[in-house]
Parts: sequence; structure tokens; C-alpha cells
Amino acid sequence: MRFFNVIRSIFYKDILSEIRNRENISSMLFFALAVILIFSFSFSMDAKTTLDLMPGIIWVAFGFTGIIGLGKSFLTEVHNDCMEYLQMAPVPKGAIYLGKLAGNVFFMLMAEIILLPLFIVFFNLEILDKLPVLLLIFLFATIGLSTLGTLFSALTVQVRAREVMFPVLLLPLAVPVFIGAVEATRGAMSGDPLALYGHWIWLLGIYDLIFVLVAFWIFDFILDY
Amino acid sequence: MSIKADNLSKNYLHFRVLVKLSFEIREGTCFALFGPNGAGKTTLLRILATLLRPTEGSFELLGMDGVRDKAKIRESLFLISHGSYLYDDLTAIENLHFTLSVRGADISPQKIKSSLDRVGIGAFGNLKSRYLSAGMKKRLSIAKALLINPKILLMDEGYASLDEKGVGMLNGCIREMTRNGTTVFMTTHERYRAAEVADRASILINGALQDLPLEKLAGTDAIF
Repeated sequence: MRFFNVIRSIFYKDILSEIRNRENISSMLFFALAVILIFSFSFSMDAKTTLDLMPGIIWVAFGFTGIIGLGKSFLTEVHNDCMEYLQMAPVPKGAIYLGKLAGNVFFMLMAEIILLPLFIVFFNLEILDKLPVLLLIFLFATIGLSTLGTLFSALTVQVRAREVMFPVLLLPLAVPVFIGAVEATRGAMSGDPLALYGHWIWLLGIYDLIFVLVAFWIFDFILDY
Repeated sequence: MSIKADNLSKNYLHFRVLVKLSFEIREGTCFALFGPNGAGKTTLLRILATLLRPTEGSFELLGMDGVRDKAKIRESLFLISHGSYLYDDLTAIENLHFTLSVRGADISPQKIKSSLDRVGIGAFGNLKSRYLSAGMKKRLSIAKALLINPKILLMDEGYASLDEKGVGMLNGCIREMTRNGTTVFMTTHERYRAAEVADRASILINGALQDLPLEKLAGTDAIF
């Protein structure tokens, strides 16, 4: 019971802090908005080109927006030595990890939900009938990125070259998520049968499962080394 | 014994901070540790708080091995440190809620309110902690300790930032907690304030502990 209370407390604390200071979500949204505007004014696309390029553009915006937020995820824990308190807390450290992960997934999904209508408007996308499967892909890919992002944010937060170390560690391991997300998004947006691109969604799901389990297990060593 | 150290040593690279410390502290006593800056007081405190591992030797808290059983020990331990462990965007009450819920402790609003009143910041419960002064943050840490009611309370410069009333309040809390069986281990430079509550005192010099008689603590001669 205490395990789930810890997850809930950390999640609630992160949401409350973000609602009050809006540091993360505003920087994420402004970056994503800039990406959308740059791409929308750079290309003059017909329907086919749009379908070819959009999955990549969407995941450049979503992925790098997420990385901006994920990199700052543990900064609030460094102020006033809160990380030290979490280290001493008599709870499984995996619960702390899952609480932080839940918060990060929530923030990334919020950003994506805000950005998606902008994509639809700026690029004239006709994807409303494909939204359920697209949202499932976004959810899986977001969990995948957040899983690693939360872990590496905790690992690098006390490092002086944090801004350099975080993407250097995260991006190589996140390549399967980006490939899976782009391919699955392309399949869904093109209206292909699920059988043609379903394996990419499976890849994302299995990736999420493996890395959540690994991160949950090693977080104890990261927080309490 | 509540705290027991056996040949405890700590090195930072080749620099030896603590050298084969052995001591025992009984349950329900207040132990005050003095020493010059850089003597290793905070290092010793952080080892006892299970935040650092000793280079050599061993220590026990409540009869449990300090390295092997640290997860169990942490149930009964609380550290008042230089860091306030507060989230700037949460109010004092929300910070207390969070602190307690992470430990799985009782979080009745009545208890939280009365602990804030006890430490003298009851009127500031709904103020974001970023607006609290250093002394008020220290009082909030003391409120946490009261609510958690640990078996071992570790304090690093517990009197720092507190005004005269705050010092009186903290000493009152220490007396009450030790009466109820809590062992208090504090590092401090405030000899007269500590003299009011300490049952034992020691000085840490050159990595070694020397007993400090309480009458000398309350006197006017330099203690180190």
C-alpha cells in the first residue's frame, strides 16, 4: 500500500509544482511550436508528400520537446537537497522512479495533446478517423522515451555537464523508440491495415516493458549508490 | 545501545577524515558533537544517516548493521540537515504532507497543524516554502521530526538560523523526544545552547573523538 502511496505522492507533487511554476511545460511548448512553424513554412507539400514526411516531423517535435522536459525532471529534487531526502526515505526506490515516470509521461502527453491539433491545422492533416490508433502509438512511444529520460535525468542531475551528458546517454538508446514511433505513425496515418505496421507497435510495447522493468530494478543503485 | 561505532574510518581519496572512531550512545540520550570546521562532523553524521559508507570499520543503529540493514534502519531515522528538503512551489503544509506520505506516516491534518503551531509557524502553513526564511525552514524541519517521531534524530547544526525563541523551542523538543526514548545526535558550534540539553558531549579533532565533560561545555574556557 505504501508503495502505491509513494507513486501517487510523487506524481501529485510534480503535477502541483508544474502547475504553479509552469517552467517545464512552457519551454516544451514553445520549442514544439517553433518546430511546427519552421516545418510548415519550409515545405509546400501535396497530400502524398505530407504523409511521407509528417511522421518524421511529428516525432522531431514530440521527441525533442519531451527531451527538453525530461532533462529537467530531477532538477526540482536537487534544490534544497530533496534528492537526499528521497534517498533516505524508507521505501523501495522503484516507487520513487515510477512516480517520477508517471509525471513525465503525463507532461509529455499533455504537450502532445496540445500540439496535435496544431499539426492538423498547419499541415491540413485528415487523421481524425485514425486518432485512436495514433494516440496508442503516441502513448507507447512517450512511455518509451520517458522511461529512459527519467532514468538518465536522475543519473545526470548532479553532473556538472548535465546538459551534454543527458542527450548523449539518452539518444542512442532511444533510437528504437524513434524508429518504431515513426514507422507506426506512418502506417496509421496512411490508413494501412494494422497487420502491416502492428509489429512496430509491438516493438514499442516490448521496449517499454523491458526498460520499465530494468529502470525500476536499477533505480535503487542510481539513487543510493 | 542506540548507536554503536567500531573502528569507524572514512577517507576522501588519500585524505583521512575519521580515524578508527569507536563510541556508543545509549537510547534516549542527547549527544552533542563539537569540532573545528573541517573536522569531519558532517561526514560522521552522514555515515550515521546511511548516506555515506565508512571506508573501514562498522557501525550499528538500533542493533542493526549500518551498511547491510540501512533500508530497515531508515524507518527509524530522521536527519535535520543543512538542506531543508523542501519543494519551493509547495506550501509548508503540502511539504509536510509529502514528507510524511513518502514515509508512510500518519498524515492527519490536525497533527500537521498542531506540529506547525508547536514550532511557531502555524500562521504560515499555506505559504509556499520559497517565501519562508531560513529560520522558518529550520522550524519546518523540526516539525517534520516531531511528526515522524524517529528513534534516532540526527541534526547537523540544528541551531543554525534559529532565533532565541526558536532555540528554546528546539531544546524543548529535544528534551521531550529524549524523554520518550529518541536518541539525538547533533553536531553544533553552539556550546551554551547544547549544554542545556546534552547528556554527553565530544570533540572531533584530527579524526579522533575526545570526551568533553559537560561542566567544561558550560564554562568559559575554549573547548578546542
